[in-house]
Amino acid sequence: MIRLSSSRSRATCVVLILLVALNRSAAFAGDTFKESIQPLLTRYCFTCHQGEKPQGDLNLETLAAEFTGDAQRKPWQNVLDHLQSGEMPPEEKPQPSADERQFLTDWITAHIRDAEIVERATQGRVVLRRLNRTEYEQTIRDLLGVNVALQDLLPLDSSSDGFDNVGDALHISSFLLERYLEAADVALDAAITNGPQPAIIKQRYTLQDSHQIRSSTESVYRKSDDGRVVLFSSSAWNAVSLSPFYPTDRGDYRFRIATSGIQSDGKPMTFRVDAGLMLMTGKPHLVDYFDAPAGETRIVEFTDSLQARETIRILPYDLAHANTVNTIGADDYTGPGVAIDWVEVEGPLHDDWPPESHRRIFGDLPQASAPVYNRSDRMEVVSNDPLVDADWILRNFARRAFRRAVTDDDIQPYVGLVETKLAEGQSFEQSVRVALTAMLVSPDFLFLRETPGRLDDFALASRLSYFLWSSMPDDELFTLAEEGKLAGDESSTVLHQQIERMLDDPKSQRFAHNFVGQWLQLRDIDFTTPSILVYPEFDDMLKESMVREAELFFAELLKDDLSIANFIASDFTMLNGRLAKHYGIAGVDGWEFQKTMLPPESHRGGVLTMAGVLKVTANGTSTSPVIRGAWVLERILGVTPPRPPADVAALEPDIRGATTIREQLAKHRESAACASCHQQIDPPGFALESFDVIGGYREKYRFAGWRRDAEIVEFNGRKVYLDLAVDPSDILPDGRAFANIDEFKQLLLDDKDQFARALTTKLITYATGGPPTPSDRPHIDAIVENIHEKNDGFRSLIHEIVASDLFQMK
Amino acid sequence: MHSGCPVFPLRLRVTSFFRSEFNMTMFTQPHHQLNRRRFLKAAGVTLALPLLESLAPRLKAGEKQQTPRRMVCLCTPLGLHPEYFFPEQTGKDYKATPYLDVIDEFRDDYTVISGLSHPDVGSSHDSIFSYLTGAPHPEIRAGFRNSISVDQFAAEQIGGLTRFASLSLSAEGFGLSWTQSGALVPPDLYPSSIFARMFLEGRPDEVAAQKRRLRDGQSILDTVRERSKKMQPALGVRDREKLDEYYTSVRDLEQRMVIAEEWSKKPKPVVDVPPPENNLNSADLIGKNKLMFDLIHLAIQTDSTRLITMLLLGTSLVPPIPGVSLGHHDLSHHGKDPTKIEQLKSIEIAKMDTFRDLLKKLKETKEEDETLLDRTMIFFSSNLGDGSTHSSRNMPIVFAGGGFNHAGHLAFDPANPPPLCNLYVSMLQRLGIEAESFGSSTGTLSGLAAKG
Repeated sequence: MIRLSSSRSRATCVVLILLVALNRSAAFAGDTFKESIQPLLTRYCFTCHQGEKPQGDLNLETLAAEFTGDAQRKPWQNVLDHLQSGEMPPEEKPQPSADERQFLTDWITAHIRDAEIVERATQGRVVLRRLNRTEYEQTIRDLLGVNVALQDLLPLDSSSDGFDNVGDALHISSFLLERYLEAADVALDAAITNGPQPAIIKQRYTLQDSHQIRSSTESVYRKSDDGRVVLFSSSAWNAVSLSPFYPTDRGDYRFRIATSGIQSDGKPMTFRVDAGLMLMTGKPHLVDYFDAPAGETRIVEFTDSLQARETIRILPYDLAHANTVNTIGADDYTGPGVAIDWVEVEGPLHDDWPPESHRRIFGDLPQASAPVYNRSDRMEVVSNDPLVDADWILRNFARRAFRRAVTDDDIQPYVGLVETKLAEGQSFEQSVRVALTAMLVSPDFLFLRETPGRLDDFALASRLSYFLWSSMPDDELFTLAEEGKLAGDESSTVLHQQIERMLDDPKSQRFAHNFVGQWLQLRDIDFTTPSILVYPEFDDMLKESMVREAELFFAELLKDDLSIANFIASDFTMLNGRLAKHYGIAGVDGWEFQKTMLPPESHRGGVLTMAGVLKVTANGTSTSPVIRGAWVLERILGVTPPRPPADVAALEPDIRGATTIREQLAKHRESAACASCHQQIDPPGFALESFDVIGGYREKYRFAGWRRDAEIVEFNGRKVYLDLAVDPSDILPDGRAFANIDEFKQLLLDDKDQFARALTTKLITYATGGPPTPSDRPHIDAIVENIHEKNDGFRSLIHEIVASDLFQMK
Repeated sequence: MHSGCPVFPLRLRVTSFFRSEFNMTMFTQPHHQLNRRRFLKAAGVTLALPLLESLAPRLKAGEKQQTPRRMVCLCTPLGLHPEYFFPEQTGKDYKATPYLDVIDEFRDDYTVISGLSHPDVGSSHDSIFSYLTGAPHPEIRAGFRNSISVDQFAAEQIGGLTRFASLSLSAEGFGLSWTQSGALVPPDLYPSSIFARMFLEGRPDEVAAQKRRLRDGQSILDTVRERSKKMQPALGVRDREKLDEYYTSVRDLEQRMVIAEEWSKKPKPVVDVPPPENNLNSADLIGKNKLMFDLIHLAIQTDSTRLITMLLLGTSLVPPIPGVSLGHHDLSHHGKDPTKIEQLKSIEIAKMDTFRDLLKKLKETKEEDETLLDRTMIFFSSNLGDGSTHSSRNMPIVFAGGGFNHAGHLAFDPANPPPLCNLYVSMLQRLGIEAESFGSSTGTLSGLAAKG
């Protein structure tokens, strides 16, 4: 087993030796450059790369032997990449000898690496990063113990290297700071209570009292004396909201729904629940889909955070159109339906009063009456010894908010702030709130602070918890950090246990969601809506299912430490009834997902053939092998696809069905200028041509419109036209041919390590907020090597990443 | 089963920390109380707003009060079908195309510009990032760093002249305005809350609370500024740059709060229109345009701000327009399908209708001896020259108003055009800002001259 991560003393030693060595080599760098390097560049590169308009915007004549800082290294890295890949000099130009090429690449590699080592010793590999908006919201929720939505108050974060938690891309502005002030106010409003406990609703309702059912003129609901209502229609206007439930207070409410599938031929029926303001102008959000089992009653339970006057709404999935049911009448209708016996609501849910979030800040300090303009029952926390109380309140808060041990110096300015506010005549509670707000916009809260070299216990605890939970450390992790048990030489067992515990915690779903959403680009799932004329079978449940399949698959590999090769090809996937139907796989019904073995002829398995991935790599109307090919290169193989030249327009897909995309692309590949890149980009894309824009398997292209000779298939009574045949075969740049996606996946598996390196690189970028550089390759190789003996297990990979210096050093 | 991210509500009931004043950025949802404030209809129109002396740059003795100059930058993100937009002939006597025909009655008040684009901005929807900044290569996401947008650049110079330094509006979540450090200026989405901050005075207790917030805000910033200063010395160069950004942001916000406090002492302008109701239909690009365009007119008329950007709606949804049955984004990728192009035309004509109404309102409103249009530059274009291919070349541009000698159809060679930023430099100079360059500019735009 190769282990690069070593004890601290050895690492320090290595750095010191290198620093000495570097000082020496730096002195000679200039000479070698002038005497040996520049002549080579002059001979082989200057023809194109010099003057006013150098090729590729790269002027080598003016390129100095300077390697300090990313910006200076970037052009050199570019030169190195092209020399190593053999792309440069181009075939038709004079070529350097093998020795010359080696000399050049060695020289550049050494200088880049040396410069990086110096910089890392003083600055670390990653840059100071602030919380992104997802992390900000989760952190505030965990810190204050409130269920409050804040993300949408904050502007979108920029991404770099594929992730929105990369420090380099996370900027701050006065506008953002202003939003932080606003968000802190919203969060503290939710955490601190200023009144008596709101009345608790605990009631069982029948849908028969709902407004829709009482006022509907269509016979689409079957009612019986025991209060049951059977919903038979999936037409949007037949959704039933729980209108008798009309809360006057915001808070978390628990819902229980007694439901069963009726006349459903033994199959579960599915319905969706939305929550929100049910007015014309309201925008309810999806709570989830639920299954009603055939013939037996099930109690569905969920908790949702509601504002005053909001309620829930129920709509069955995939049942008949309202007209169909209405013509027959609900009582005589024999088709399937969803029965709702009753709906119970309890809330707002509080363990105690004042709620935990309030006591977490103010402990048991008493409240006293403090009425304002329109609230006579308003109360505020009071103190007999304001500055003493403020001190412990702020000290407790800072320790968790700053995610580290705090000193008197840390607290003093905030206590001073309370003092100022008290002197201005503000109340105790208000003064403390100002100081709490200040903490929440302070750099100690907003930035993940790490010092160069090996991370200390607190920085390591935060890095770990933002990696796996997208939030601050919990009490257990924090206590371990305080006890110094995370970062020491003897810490590997503790770290191992913590990773295990954290991955088992439901909070690790955030890792699946945030990582998969960006790695596989599934955050863009709503970016296009396929045309209903060409893809009539596309619906919201299918879309939701696509994203969950990928996240659950990811979680499944993580849970059972399954091989990461499953990401390329697997004999199972996570399916529910809707996706199984989409994939043409029998035996799975309803909304609930299950691990399903795939029949060999399914062409599924692995992430490439997941409907969600296939949807986000298409534009809603057509697929492009170029886009999908580039996607595979970048996200699966870890190769940055070459950029299209600026003067070439994108191919305009012809959806009238006259030519296939292959015929259009063939022109590209005939021209030598285009071929060099396209023979690399296109093949994976061609393999994926067997899948349409919503990830359905196809052998012929669908097209918009109609022709006499077109083949017709029907979905939900809508006709779709097919004509030209798909050809998913192609040849990889190295000459290996494949006939279809199944063979292509096998070719990818021939070099499993390439994928392993690519995935590791993505994970390290996400885990540390900074992308590894080419000099980090040995670390990556070691990680990949180490998991071989663990059967390439995904969970083992996470352990190895955390154990590596890339993770444990700034 | 509930996997992945818990579904959290998108809606918010939020009270802005600084409810009014210095920055028109707020996500506040509809204020339901607005309706009861409808009584707020002043007798007559009280529009001519005196310049606030304390905030205006000091005029030197003998210097003349300058004519207020404004700039509105609009972007329709899915392009405009080029065949229906660009005229064949150049100069003043071009034959109006279907889209230009909609605004033909104002032909003397605008220039149609063809051929322009940002150099080094590749073909992709991501070109929206660089629309008003000109920053190179947004389409290569890794390593892209945005720069300041033309409106924010101008706001740094002339923002203090008005209650709001600038307005960044949007019909969706994204926006067009970017700060110096390349951070997105959070756009305003809700007309009702913008209206409230521009024109409605709160209840006395709200006003008092707001004043207290501003004061508290300044104390808070003072504390965290000192804190970040203390952190500085221990950091490496790159980390220090990050913290510098924080420090600068604190300073900027402090300054804006001081200005906001000044403004909060002045009464807001009174307008004789009811507060707008928000349009929450995410597909209704025309409805949203109308509301926002009306607000833009009001903001300019009351001199509440002189710099406005707005990103129009472009979604994958089916807009409620007669004859349109397919999603807008889908239609923009028409793939030469005539049925789709026809539907796309319906959407884009409806969009041009709203633009014409905005021109009309500005043209019909007088300020001193000129029309508002004469004093307001409107840059209307798209980050895409052709939505169907995602091409970012040859952007469709209508440049209206602002007191220019408008030139009909000003055509540049799309293969070798001057940078679009040259137009931005011309615009900045028209605002009275002595800018020599901006973004990728090489000068001002030739063929376009301001009157007198």
